[in-house]
Amino acid sequence: MGTEKREAHHYTTYAYNAEIKEKRPYPPCRAACPVNTDVQGYVGLIAQGRYEDAFELIHAVNPIASTCSLICHHPCEQECRRNDVDEPLAIRHLKRFALEQATEYRRKKRKPIPQTKEESIAIIGSGPAGLTAANDLAELGYKVTVFERHPTLGGMLSSAIPPYRLSREALQEDIDDVLAKGIEARTNCQIGKDLTLNDLTEEYDAVLIAVGLSLSRSLPIPGVDAPDVLLAIPFLNDVAYGKQPKVGEKVLVIGGGNVAIDVARSARRLGCEHVEMVCLESAEEMPAWSWEVEEAAEEAIEVHHRWGPQAIRVNDGKVEGLEVVKVKSVFDEDGRFSPVFYDDQTSFIPADTIIITIGQMSDLSFLEGTPVEVDERGRLIWDRDTQMSSADGIFTTGEVITGPGSAIAAAANGHRAAKAIDLYLRGEDIKLGLVAEEKETILAFPEELVQKLSKQSREKIVHLAPKIRTSNFDLFEVGYEEQAALMEARRCRTCGGGAIVNAAQCAACLTCLRICPYDAPLVTSKAQMIPEICQVCGLCAAECPGLAINMVSYDAGEFREHMSDIIGDVDPERDAPILVAFRCNHNAGVNGDQLPDNVRPVHMHCVSRLDVLDLLKAFECGADGAYVMICDEENGKYKNVPSRVKKRIEYVRQLISNIGLESERLSYFEAGTHPDEVWRQAARKMTEKVKALGKD
Amino acid sequence: MIVADQKPINEILGMLERYDKVLFVGCQTCVAVCMAGGEKETGVLASLVRLARQKAGQPIEIDEAAIQRQCEEEFIEPLEADGYQAILSLGCGVGVNKLADHFGIPVLPGLNTGFMGHIEEHGVWAETCAGCGDCVLHRTGGICPVVRCAKSLMNGPCGGYTDDGLCESGTGAPCAWIAIYKRLKELGLLESMTETSPPKDWSKDRFSGPRTRVREDVRL
Repeated sequence: MGTEKREAHHYTTYAYNAEIKEKRPYPPCRAACPVNTDVQGYVGLIAQGRYEDAFELIHAVNPIASTCSLICHHPCEQECRRNDVDEPLAIRHLKRFALEQATEYRRKKRKPIPQTKEESIAIIGSGPAGLTAANDLAELGYKVTVFERHPTLGGMLSSAIPPYRLSREALQEDIDDVLAKGIEARTNCQIGKDLTLNDLTEEYDAVLIAVGLSLSRSLPIPGVDAPDVLLAIPFLNDVAYGKQPKVGEKVLVIGGGNVAIDVARSARRLGCEHVEMVCLESAEEMPAWSWEVEEAAEEAIEVHHRWGPQAIRVNDGKVEGLEVVKVKSVFDEDGRFSPVFYDDQTSFIPADTIIITIGQMSDLSFLEGTPVEVDERGRLIWDRDTQMSSADGIFTTGEVITGPGSAIAAAANGHRAAKAIDLYLRGEDIKLGLVAEEKETILAFPEELVQKLSKQSREKIVHLAPKIRTSNFDLFEVGYEEQAALMEARRCRTCGGGAIVNAAQCAACLTCLRICPYDAPLVTSKAQMIPEICQVCGLCAAECPGLAINMVSYDAGEFREHMSDIIGDVDPERDAPILVAFRCNHNAGVNGDQLPDNVRPVHMHCVSRLDVLDLLKAFECGADGAYVMICDEENGKYKNVPSRVKKRIEYVRQLISNIGLESERLSYFEAGTHPDEVWRQAARKMTEKVKALGKD
Repeated sequence: MIVADQKPINEILGMLERYDKVLFVGCQTCVAVCMAGGEKETGVLASLVRLARQKAGQPIEIDEAAIQRQCEEEFIEPLEADGYQAILSLGCGVGVNKLADHFGIPVLPGLNTGFMGHIEEHGVWAETCAGCGDCVLHRTGGICPVVRCAKSLMNGPCGGYTDDGLCESGTGAPCAWIAIYKRLKELGLLESMTETSPPKDWSKDRFSGPRTRVREDVRL
């Protein structure tokens, strides 16, 4: 008997889910994602060790997925319903794990998309929005050319986001995926300088302006012209391209946003040990993400809150520091930015380098003399319903029109712009075509339900020690090991993946109502399942006498339907008995268990879903024995599972013994605290036991 | 609902012995609710029979179907039985009768039809109505003496109950008439026990031959 690696059998048919899922309310994670990534879907695939499938699901809506896996502000996690139980799922970090695992796979599948359409499109700017639009338009069969003024593609991702947050290798994977579709990329080509907008409109059927916010705003205060007063974007450009911008011994960053944090942390990595920030806002009001502020604090970056810059003190051409005035309030009664100061309370923050990071704006100088209009404040005029500028056929997308936001929000807008251009080129109504369906979102866990849910700590995300990470620009965050990723993925409550009732099959027998540990079913003339309560344990589907219940996240009938495939050909001359072994992902180790090859492992998200017919089918399809590994009530993901599954096993044991098969051919093992060990031993014990009984 | 139980597997195997291509038909109403013959149980029984026949070296081909109610012609109509040697019905006896009327092949009962009953707890069903055709529940506090008294007494109790209030028949069932007494007392209707019930019209019971009901105004 060999012990070669055998892949676990997986029969969660994703296509099945996708169809039903689209008709169901979104879980909050998916609703919060600007591109509506099916988080529950890909996290579930990771939990099963199906990393390439997870990649496909992620990548289907997000062409900058690797980038997002490192830098996304993860609104999905903020909305994760686990927040109400313990801690949110580490979704972004799981995405990183899946993408890293699928690197070879994605490289191999890159191929050009045939150009099936005659029209061509020029995209100005290759940031998240431009890149996403390029991706989508190439997918649709258009000829796409991207113009980028920098030497590399990616816009701010490449030219400004510091590499300690976004490795250029990860970004390149995203870019290579898009480029492989047959897109022409013209780098070092600035529209307005190397070519004009008119050149593009003459050559291309549509143009997309995706130039982002590439200029730093400065401050109208004395001293800003001194040589050691820098602006954020040029500074970050230099950092990004490894030009090692020179900073002094004491850097002061003006600003409290995420870019200011990038600047401050980059300054630390350039060798400056004394980096401080000053911002108008209090710690609570500060616009930077809380985790970025914490990470900066770990790197000994101090923030002076509620001080406004008044003047930069310069002596003999050298910066000495910043004169500041105390802030009384930042926002007015309506929440609008309108700072008020205590004019009599001033202070001075010494510094030899000051970097101004108070916001960005677009460089729209290339639009002068073109039909594309800007408003009196220099902003691009565009139609929200069509993504079109004031000039026919010239569209716009990303932060140039939405203002500062996240990469994934820009990508979402890129999708929309691509759709608009396609509608335009096909002569269809753009406004009508862009109307998005309002999706319902699953509600929060009811309070009484939270008490019933088991707690499980989030797998820690490791950061390099501050002393080490501030010495270079390497990625400061360490990816999950496989075991940690699997454990974390299994924390997902699979919100929205739960039970659904086929009313035509429902006899309103009330079984689901009685069996559900969470009170999710509501049975009147027919059963219905309350999505925010259902925990996807599957107990109801396995007990329904009318086979009326199925699950959004898996097909309840898939094991019995595929049991012949799971078992495979049965050799009549076999020496070792064929055993089907069922266990939950929760207890599964890393992929590729070391099991004897007479054992056919079947993994599922919980053995609660195993029904009498699944177990019986194993025997019908040629197994000599079968066993189930069961968690105990205390450590299991769901309530009431062990007792229920044991009853089903006992029932099937009776059934098979009634027809003369030894009941010992079906058994179960308690997972306990060492499930991997139990799993290995179970294979050995059952093989011996069933071998002694003889072939079925 | 009608409560039924699956026949012992060996009895079913015996009935099927001469066939090797059979259609199993479940019923998605009463017997689904009492977990004896719905689509799920049909699948389980079919799997078990296939397994037993494989084991015996006499494989059998079984297709499975389940219809809404086997007691209705319109639900039976779409069912195709061509090519099968027999049908095994997992409906109640009514369903077996109806399928046998409809198809020109043998229809075998997979269930023993038991009684009209209710669910006492999940997995436990109890008989509560005998379908006697002459209901007396208004006089007995909603507790049926026909089905729940071993002697179907109309003016009980008989006096043969045990000290702990169980029926002398030894079935372990509580005396129906003690239950009726208690219920009437709770309802403040105890004086009705002093009235003697008139002789019951047993001609409406099933023992007087098959019963039919006609409502002329709704006939088509």
